[in-house]
Amino acid sequence: MSGHNKLPKLLIIDDDAHLRESLAEVLELDGFECHQAGAAQPGIEAAAKLDPDVVIMDIQLPDSSGFQICQELRKRSKATILIMMTGRFLSAEEKKQGFELGADEYMTKPFDLAELSVRIRQLLSRRQAEKA
Amino acid sequence: MARGGRGKLAYKILGWFLGISLVPMGFVGYLLVNVSQASLRKQTLSMQESLAVGFSDTVYKYVSTYGNVLAETSGLADFSTMNAAKQKQYLDRMLQVHMAVLELSVVDAQGVETLRVGRFLGPSPELRNVSNEEYFNTAITRGHYVGGLERFQGIYPTVTIASAILDSTQQPPKAVGVLVGKVSLNGLSSMLGMEFPPASRSSAAVVAPDGFLIADSDPKQVYKPDARLSDDILKIITTQMNDKGGGEIMLSDGSRLLGAYSDVKELGWVVYVQQPVEAAYQTATEMKKQIFQVLVWVVLVTVLLSLAVAGHITQPVRLLREAADRLGKGQFEDLPEVVTTNDEIGDLAQTFLGMSESLREKTGELVDAKTKLENYAKELNKRVEARTRELKAAQDELIKKERLAAIGQMASVVGHEIRNPLAVINNSIYFIKTKLGQAGEPDAKLAKHIKIIESEIQQANGIINEILTYSRQRELKPEHVSLNAWLEELLSVYPFPAHIKLEKMLDGANPMVDIDTTEMQQAVRNLIGNGIEVMPQQGTVRVRTALADGGTVAIEIGDTGPGIPPDVLDKIFAPFFTTKARGTGLGLAVVRKVMDRHRGRVDVESVVGRGTVFRLYLPVAQKAPGAAAVKV
Repeated sequence: MSGHNKLPKLLIIDDDAHLRESLAEVLELDGFECHQAGAAQPGIEAAAKLDPDVVIMDIQLPDSSGFQICQELRKRSKATILIMMTGRFLSAEEKKQGFELGADEYMTKPFDLAELSVRIRQLLSRRQAEKA
Repeated sequence: MARGGRGKLAYKILGWFLGISLVPMGFVGYLLVNVSQASLRKQTLSMQESLAVGFSDTVYKYVSTYGNVLAETSGLADFSTMNAAKQKQYLDRMLQVHMAVLELSVVDAQGVETLRVGRFLGPSPELRNVSNEEYFNTAITRGHYVGGLERFQGIYPTVTIASAILDSTQQPPKAVGVLVGKVSLNGLSSMLGMEFPPASRSSAAVVAPDGFLIADSDPKQVYKPDARLSDDILKIITTQMNDKGGGEIMLSDGSRLLGAYSDVKELGWVVYVQQPVEAAYQTATEMKKQIFQVLVWVVLVTVLLSLAVAGHITQPVRLLREAADRLGKGQFEDLPEVVTTNDEIGDLAQTFLGMSESLREKTGELVDAKTKLENYAKELNKRVEARTRELKAAQDELIKKERLAAIGQMASVVGHEIRNPLAVINNSIYFIKTKLGQAGEPDAKLAKHIKIIESEIQQANGIINEILTYSRQRELKPEHVSLNAWLEELLSVYPFPAHIKLEKMLDGANPMVDIDTTEMQQAVRNLIGNGIEVMPQQGTVRVRTALADGGTVAIEIGDTGPGIPPDVLDKIFAPFFTTKARGTGLGLAVVRKVMDRHRGRVDVESVVGRGTVFRLYLPVAQKAPGAAAVKV
């Protein structure tokens, strides 16, 4: 979906409005087209409509677990990059489960934003290469 | 029972003896007395009866004698024709010969006395007309008369006897007058008195049917005016059909008599013989008395004899009982000597001796067992106390752990919740910094404050990480490593500052340990870091390993810092305890947690002014590596 003239499309799903806004605006500075959703269900609907290149979602959401969204989104699209955000330590089992359900990356709050931006671009270019 | 008491058994035996000996004897005695009384009664009565019969004969003869005496004279052929003087001669002679004759008189056919003589009448007594008297009419018509009992001089009983004077010249002879005599009956009383002397206790009387007492063996009864037989007896005698008989009489005054009677033929008088029952039964009474005496003797002898026998029989039994009492009180020594006679009691004594012996043994065993049991109980008590102390300690430890876990959980939640705002701040300052950068060189002070914010975010994040690390429930992943080699590597990469000197003294034994290297590294680093922090100018960090007791090895990390005051020393392992301006107070708590998770322990020794030494004790690993995967 993404072209050279088009910015990569990014969907952020988090119930904390400040967090998702600040993250979206930082990533917009870095050249991403950012969309937001405050809960799992609107997030899944937005993803269906926008077909984003990257979805960044919190593991804990009010109406669902991030893992379930992850599984749902992966069913729709194999190409979408799925990044899980968490405020706590995840056990090895949890991480493994997440990867099996289709997660591409984990990030612990607070993020090193420069590193995050670079990591997203890496994943995007790798996915691009896979497509080609 | 007191020594010397005879005991119930003895009295029971006594009772039996008395019963056995006295009951038959009393019974026999009673029968004997009864039998003898019956026969005595019979015998006495028949004897009295024969006496009465005999005496009635005597009375009859006595009266007949005087009748004959009168008839001899009146019957003289010429008496009726004699002149008065001649007749008087006869009459005087009769008075002389027969003392009992008191008066004599001759009465003519018209009933007029023609002659009268008497012992107490004087020379010429009055001549009376007796034509109306019964004796005259009876004698003149029938020839003779006996009757007219009266008391001469009011006292002495007399009888009037009359006999017809016959004129023998006529055929048949015709009564022409009557010879009348008043005869004293004192002689009968004298005879009775001789026959029944007062000592014999029997008495006899002659009585007319109207109760007139004619004679009595006791003169006092008869020689008095109106002497009569008692009405009780008279009533009985006069109502009898037979002319003789006898039986027991109960008088109205309650006294009992044995009485017998016999009619005097022709006269209608009765001879009565009596004897008090007591006198009649005297022999039987005597016998009763003697039997009673014998009974008393028998009782005495029986009592003495049976007491002796009972004493003999019960003595061994009492000794046994005494011995048993002592046994009952647990006194096995000084038992009374138990006599073992050759009988059932002897057998009992033998059995008792056997029993007391086995009882002594059993008691000994029991006492031993009791002592052992008491010792066991003491031992058990000690163990229980020790165990209780351990449990208490364990419980305290558990409470502490639970408290720590609760703190950890809270810290985790708080830490996690703080991460979100921290992330937002971080995003925002990154946005600001980036915007300012795009707008050209920013103001120096603004850039400095942005740096401060970034640094503080880092600081806060570090604290949160530390807290979350401490409270994290992580699985232990032990590795089988050489302690010395592992330490060497750790120390070689540790960034010691230049002012710190490192001293290593690693044990030559070089033990193997099973450790989670990540966590153990954290513990050792925390200790080294603390040591460096308290020596800001200069100092030495000493790292030693040494084998310790109980199959453990100790890692010593010491410093030459200011030391820790004793009042602080016991709090330093508590979470969130810190003396630093900036610090979570979790460094040493993590050390302790790590050592706990490795089944080891940590202790500390500190001298103020000289420094502090921490020792981490770890179990030395067994040969099989990796076996000690411990999850806490």
